[in-house]
Amino acid sequence: MKCKSAVTLGAVLITACAATIPAQAFTPERAVEVMVHSGPGAGNDIFARGVVGVLDKLKIVPQNMQVVNKTGGGGLVAMSYLSEKKADTHLIAVFTSVWWVNPMIRKEGKVTMRDLTPIARLVLEPSVMAVRADSPYKNAKEFFAAAKKNPGKLKQSGGSISGRDNTTRALLQKAAGAEWQFISMKSGGERIAALLGGHVDMMIMEPSEALEQIRAGKVRVIATLMEKRLSSVPDVPTIKEQGYNVPEVPQARGFVGPPAMPADVKTYWEGIFGKMHKSKEWQDYVKMNHYEDGFLTGAGLRKFSEEYEQTMRGILKDAGIKLVR
Amino acid sequence: MEMLSGLAHGFAIALEPMNLLWCFVGVFFGTIVGILPGLGPSATVALLLPMAMQMNPTGGLIMLAGIYYGAKYGGSTTAILLNVPGESASVVTCLDGFEMARKGRAGPALGIAAISSFVAGSVGVVLLMLVAPPIAEFALRFGPPEYFALMAMGLSMVVLLAGKSMIKALLSMLVGLWLATIGIDLFTDGARFTFEQIELMDGVNFVIVAIGTFAIGEVLANMSVQSSGQTFTVPKGLRNLMPNWQDLKDCRFAFLNGSIVGFFVGVLPGAGSTIASFVSYGLEKAVSRHPEKFGTGVVEGVAAPEGANNSETGGSLVPLLTLGIPGSATTAILLAAFILWGLKPGPLLIQDNPEMFWGLVASMYIGNVILLILNLPLVPVLAQILRLPGYVLYPVILGVSIVGVYSVDQRLFDVWLVGGFGLLGFLMRRLDYPAAPLLLGLVLGDLMENAMRQSLMMSNGDISILYSRPLAATMLLLTAVLLAGPLFRQVNSWRLKASEQEV
Repeated sequence: MKCKSAVTLGAVLITACAATIPAQAFTPERAVEVMVHSGPGAGNDIFARGVVGVLDKLKIVPQNMQVVNKTGGGGLVAMSYLSEKKADTHLIAVFTSVWWVNPMIRKEGKVTMRDLTPIARLVLEPSVMAVRADSPYKNAKEFFAAAKKNPGKLKQSGGSISGRDNTTRALLQKAAGAEWQFISMKSGGERIAALLGGHVDMMIMEPSEALEQIRAGKVRVIATLMEKRLSSVPDVPTIKEQGYNVPEVPQARGFVGPPAMPADVKTYWEGIFGKMHKSKEWQDYVKMNHYEDGFLTGAGLRKFSEEYEQTMRGILKDAGIKLVR
Repeated sequence: MEMLSGLAHGFAIALEPMNLLWCFVGVFFGTIVGILPGLGPSATVALLLPMAMQMNPTGGLIMLAGIYYGAKYGGSTTAILLNVPGESASVVTCLDGFEMARKGRAGPALGIAAISSFVAGSVGVVLLMLVAPPIAEFALRFGPPEYFALMAMGLSMVVLLAGKSMIKALLSMLVGLWLATIGIDLFTDGARFTFEQIELMDGVNFVIVAIGTFAIGEVLANMSVQSSGQTFTVPKGLRNLMPNWQDLKDCRFAFLNGSIVGFFVGVLPGAGSTIASFVSYGLEKAVSRHPEKFGTGVVEGVAAPEGANNSETGGSLVPLLTLGIPGSATTAILLAAFILWGLKPGPLLIQDNPEMFWGLVASMYIGNVILLILNLPLVPVLAQILRLPGYVLYPVILGVSIVGVYSVDQRLFDVWLVGGFGLLGFLMRRLDYPAAPLLLGLVLGDLMENAMRQSLMMSNGDISILYSRPLAATMLLLTAVLLAGPLFRQVNSWRLKASEQEV
């Protein structure tokens, strides 16, 4: 009780201060928690630590930023934790595409992106179609032709069936009128090892997963699955250039706050990420990891969030995945 | 020649004062993290990643790698002293390690764990240096059918982990295999046995089951039979707290076995150190002249899995450094560190950055020596913990277990879960069911099921894919031999009995 009244008093004081000195905007007063929905070492976690590293270098956040891992349920645990921390001012989280997809396909996921406060989208992850360097397929067309000739014989290694690589596969199969197997494997390491070992014929991946394999002449990219060609593999034509009308399946990463995050806190983080986005350190980081710059805040981000949900809903439905919400 | 000059250059780099300091910092933190159950090397490496980013790549890598292999040294400590596996790979160490402690030989057990870690850890580095590129190419020949055969071989170890009753061991293993199915199915994305609990969607964490059935089960079993008083004996005199010459002689083969098995299992991206420790323990028991003594506190039973666990580090660095493929959570973070430093992990890494590769290799030799020097003097000190009377020691074990479990994901749910598995462990002890086969089933079940389903998808349902590829066929044959061993012995004993009756 005492505690609560102290908090209330504090809140009153802060409000009073805010009322009298409007220029006094929000700055963090203690360590900020940066929540990640996967364990240490996963792509997400590394992304969060990378962002924290860049912010540390720039010295624009006056307090420490601690990465905390709330794993479980492919993001659902993190999402429900965030929704419990309504209006918390010292907690932000990394979102990825599963934050939209998982609540749509899992009954357990009761929190959706609409309940939370998206702050900024930072990067987009491109994707490509790759084969082993000694494979006979030089472009997407040859791969599709072979798949048509031997229905269900060619194999693609990938992650879970609700992941981007399988939804993309569904779209490609439809556009090409061909069919091939999708073999789920748990880790990215296993997937690429299966490709390099010749156990599967093709993989849909982020170019960063294989750039070094490409440089060493072990992997060949046969199509870019984005609207535009990628700077990391500029010679590879997009799937549209190759004559297949396959929409891009976007994958985004950025930051989101708890429900009802106070406006001044949201503005503060928008400012911080805006500053970071302009820095050379960040641009280098994006380039080094072969992301595409996807900086977006405010109304643009809201629009993206709504459209993205719709797009993914359509793609998942087309891919034959059951939706619960 | 090129290798020698490379190594000489590497030592020159690793012996630079700053790099030596980072190596020490890494192995020191690693040891501490290893001793604390729950918090594993991957979490610690991730924690120190931002700090490493501010350092030069070689120094940073030396430190991060130091944490990785340092943590593996420490993992055996709580396993031997408290029956609490510090990490998943130390589960097997509990089997004989804790029994040794019970017999007043905690000191020699800890000592042999450190020595075996040192020997195998060093051999792992030697192998990393000598055979990395060719062995990486070989590892790529492991596709799903080969993994299936490997897991089948691992699972057949159950005949070696069985106590008096084979039926009970098999039942225990089946429970483990069932536990492995809990969670989201990789292939259909359907939930199995999760009861709409988010906490169960990723399956049951191995460490929770291990700590529950081993540590908590043990404490409950002891509390139910003993009222109070001294539970362990700790002999006086330093000599009794260190492994003696006979111990070392008994472990000759275990050192070799652990080194080789650990390294080769480590090279495979889909396996891991837990499997390495189980396989080397099984192998040790299979070739032993006194297999019946395993599980009662034989020193080889500690040396083999601990060695394998440490040699695995060298192995798991092979796909990372030669192909840019991470085989475990920890190597995945190292991969991220490479990228953040602007290095390009992949087939050309060693060629492009020889100073970094050789610096790392040399630092791992040095780090292993530091770890031995750091760990051996701790042995007599740590062994004193067992002087505590039961009414102090058991609460300590329970506390360490619960904190350890909670530290993994910070979820209260896991604490309830570990309590449940504690009860299961207690009942299993009471009814004389061995717990090790359950854990074996749990660790292998998921991998084996995935490998089988992947294989069948590859062949469009033709089961011959599992045994028609030469590598897979060889491993399945070995499995058959392993399984036939006890059967043969059984038949033989019946035959002997029959012939005695005839006379």
